[in-house]
Amino acid sequence: MVDVSQHNLVPEHTVLDEPERVEEVLEEYNVEKTNLPKIKRKDPALRDTDAEVGDVIEIVRDSRTTDQAVVYRLVVE
Amino acid sequence: MSMQTPKEIGGIQFGLMDPETYRDMSATKVITADTYDDDGYPIDMGLMDPRLGVIDPGLECRTCGQHSGSCNGHFGHIELAAPVIHVGFTKLIRRLLRSTCRDCGRLALTEEEQEEYHEKLRRTKELGEDWSDVMKAAVRQARKAKRCPYCSSPQHDIKHEKPTTYYEVQDVLSGDYSELIAQAMQPDPDDEDDEGMSPQALAEKTGIDLQRINEIMSGSFRPRKEDRKALEKALKIDLTEEDMNKLMPSDIRDWFEDIPDEDLSSLGIDPSRSRPEWMILTVLPVPPVTARPSITLDNGQRSEDDLTHKLVDIIRINQRFMENREAGAPQLIIEDLWELLQYHVTTFIDNEISGTPPARHRSGRPLKTLSQRLKGKEGRFRGSLSGKRVNFSARTVISPDPTLSLNEVGVPERVAREMTQTMNVTERNIEEAQQYVRNGPEGHPGANYVKRPDGRRLKVTEKNCEELAEKVELGWEVNRHLVDGDIVIFNRQPSLHRMSIMAHEVVVMPYKTFRLNTVVCPPYNADFDGDEMNMHALQNEEARAEARVLMRVQEQILSPRFGENIIGAIQDHISGTYLLTHENPHFTETQALDLLRATSVDTLPEPDGEEDGEPYWTGHSIFSELLPDDLSLDFTSSTGDDVKIVDGQLVEGTIDEDAVGAFGGEIVDTITKVYSETRARVFINEIASLAMRAIMHFGFSIGIDDESIPPEANEQVDEAIENAYERIQELISTYEADELESLPGRTVDETLEMKIMQTLGKARDSAGEIADDHFGDDNPAVIMARSGARGSMLNLTQMAGCVGQQAVRGERINRGYEERTLSHYKKNDLSAEAHGFVENSYRGGLTPREFFFHAMGGREGLVDTAVRTSKSGYLQRRLINALSELEAQYDGSVRDTSGTIVQFEFGEDGTSPVKVSSSEDGDVDVESIADRIIESEFDSEEQKERFLGRVEPPTNLSEHAGPGLNKAIGTEVESDD
Repeated sequence: MVDVSQHNLVPEHTVLDEPERVEEVLEEYNVEKTNLPKIKRKDPALRDTDAEVGDVIEIVRDSRTTDQAVVYRLVVE
Repeated sequence: MSMQTPKEIGGIQFGLMDPETYRDMSATKVITADTYDDDGYPIDMGLMDPRLGVIDPGLECRTCGQHSGSCNGHFGHIELAAPVIHVGFTKLIRRLLRSTCRDCGRLALTEEEQEEYHEKLRRTKELGEDWSDVMKAAVRQARKAKRCPYCSSPQHDIKHEKPTTYYEVQDVLSGDYSELIAQAMQPDPDDEDDEGMSPQALAEKTGIDLQRINEIMSGSFRPRKEDRKALEKALKIDLTEEDMNKLMPSDIRDWFEDIPDEDLSSLGIDPSRSRPEWMILTVLPVPPVTARPSITLDNGQRSEDDLTHKLVDIIRINQRFMENREAGAPQLIIEDLWELLQYHVTTFIDNEISGTPPARHRSGRPLKTLSQRLKGKEGRFRGSLSGKRVNFSARTVISPDPTLSLNEVGVPERVAREMTQTMNVTERNIEEAQQYVRNGPEGHPGANYVKRPDGRRLKVTEKNCEELAEKVELGWEVNRHLVDGDIVIFNRQPSLHRMSIMAHEVVVMPYKTFRLNTVVCPPYNADFDGDEMNMHALQNEEARAEARVLMRVQEQILSPRFGENIIGAIQDHISGTYLLTHENPHFTETQALDLLRATSVDTLPEPDGEEDGEPYWTGHSIFSELLPDDLSLDFTSSTGDDVKIVDGQLVEGTIDEDAVGAFGGEIVDTITKVYSETRARVFINEIASLAMRAIMHFGFSIGIDDESIPPEANEQVDEAIENAYERIQELISTYEADELESLPGRTVDETLEMKIMQTLGKARDSAGEIADDHFGDDNPAVIMARSGARGSMLNLTQMAGCVGQQAVRGERINRGYEERTLSHYKKNDLSAEAHGFVENSYRGGLTPREFFFHAMGGREGLVDTAVRTSKSGYLQRRLINALSELEAQYDGSVRDTSGTIVQFEFGEDGTSPVKVSSSEDGDVDVESIADRIIESEFDSEEQKERFLGRVEPPTNLSEHAGPGLNKAIGTEVESDD
């Protein structure tokens, strides 16, 4: 099967391993974890990662207007 | 009144209502189906009982003592003779019946499973997802249980017959079990080896006594369950049949009462608010009479509301039910009446249930009951709460008026007299207010009402106006007519974007149409072929201030859709500026002054030179008079030449659509972004005025002869088309000889079609080029096409050269008769003319066959637009509903109302499209804007030094603000629009 995470249009997905980093993100946007956008654990882009339900994923994608846009996702079932 | 303070709603919770609460809040029990007695008085404990509220003016409510208007009405109740199901909850009832035990009422899930669903429920609620999916999953799981995990009694399937009947499906011994057994014991006639089975063998095989077997076979003994199973196994037959045990509403109610609270919460039901047995009605609330007022017809007869009719039915059946039960009527009759009662209560709640005939009025019209009042476009939510009819609004035909500013709207005097603005009388305006009142309701700036401080409202009439004017004192309110300078909201449907509703300043005018400047046609998508528009007069100071600051037309010059101006010069304005600047004509002093007379420029610059002893001014320098002094800009015009503006002087180039047009005119866009909205408004107004004078100076008209080309050009066109025909003939012959090579991914047929289309396209283009070569540069049609004012070169080609291939669904016309488009052609004719190629021009005229093909293509276009508008309208409605609650927060993120983040940074870059430069290399020069503003704000260097804060530019200046006011901030241009 094709591994879409290797496709050049699929941006980098990384799991925020350290709790402090997650805390930082939540602090920055002043939100609960559950208010983050969601991503399914079985999302093809997460196949290479060991993301678990409840983890926060950082996605760095190229943007036409800002060079790089950083967004976060909460992993759900 | 003064005690009431606004409260914030923390939350809303919906639940079921306890029948006891119904009884408690009921003003009266309703027992008689009659409404009024012979004298016309409402009957006590009838449907119009005065305790349920009052509708007749003058009467007093027996419950609260208030009069009609202030009394909202009070609910009553009907004690139902037997419980009935509430139609709104049939699905939930079915789910609960399927998931709970018929004996003990427990949810048929083990403790662990319950815990699991509890947890899932908690999580979905936290994530803000739909918890009813969890409930459905829990019900599905519980339904699988064959036995109750708590009392281990067997569970049966529940069948739901819509709308309100439930059956328990049980497997019971079939009625003809003895015949079935006997038949199975007979030898199979088709199978020679089968010898059948004797009763002895059967007894042996099943372990049942032989005597018992005989008794069973004679039908005198019904086998018990274990025996039945053994018999079924031995004979390989099914002795059961499905038995449907109807569950009466009372059975269901008893069942639901047994469901424990803890089990309900695992299904997502809050037992403290909603007990499931409350879904079975034992008491019916009777809506107050104010919710179902009766109307008196002209002939004095009373006509009752649909709800009242329905309640009458319910009470009648309810009474009959009770009488029959007391008289000991047979079960069959009781059940019939019960069903009838259920029907009436069902249709009282919802009269559009599928599978149930709707309750009808005597005339045959279906009754409009509770659910019908709420549902749909005209229902309470969409029709009365989200949208409603309003006062202080006007609608009439629109027409153009180029003398108005784009911020203004011409309002007919008749409208201005009807729409009013409230004026609080103070010592500063008392004389003005008195004058308004003195003018009366008929004279123009007059008044329609006055309000005294004690709250009494007095109508101003022709008779009392003089008198009333004297009485007006401080603290009064005067509702005066609209006058010049008032702000109103103006709208054209369909309101597809925010520029469809803008605020304008009133200019009161004679006649009956709304007048608007033609430059605001693009945002409204308006034209003057009979379009009507709506106007709303604002009714409080806050609304007026917001409209002025946020909604005024000049604040909407830039469209958030593409970040460039949507308001600008259109059509004749563009032709005008083109004529003025294209060949840079010379004007005498008189002519130059005439061109600029409608603008605020009243002194001419230094002349550009002298001609025959007379000074002259060029079109460029006249145009430059309207530009800000320090504007510098470089771009390519749509005519194709380079436009160069240096320090507010047009050095070279033609001013056309790309410079000043709506939808991204370079100069307008830059002025709006770099200078101010006010400066842009002044610029657009003056450009429009100058262009109109310019086009009138030169004269501009178009006629059919402007599209004609000389005979030799026509010959060239014919030749080009003839060539194309020849090439097509070659293509067809190669195709028929099977020698045509197909393009990759296409069949030979498709290849041929494509090549023919290509050839014909080229033929039309070359016809266009030939026609183009023969048009003069001063041809008005060419001027319009080149400058972007109206029309395109393609339109010209079609008018003068050749109309070209007509298409249906993107292909040559292939439909019509068998193997041919029209009976004029041979079958399978592949030639151009047989498939809708129109070789004539519109001016030359089409042949009948060409005309027919052209109509086919044209019809497709019409159908497409009709379909597209309806499709996109619904698409837009869905999109709006989905996005309506998203909001950009102060931290730059976009969130919905629950706080869930949708975008971490608005549009990923956190910028508004209207605030950024629209061209890639021309950044908005913020530094110079700041310098210019500071420069113009201060008289001396010292003051400038002292100031290093910020001053908001006054955006809400009126067109009619006092004299000497510099409307264009930061320039010395003084507009008098």
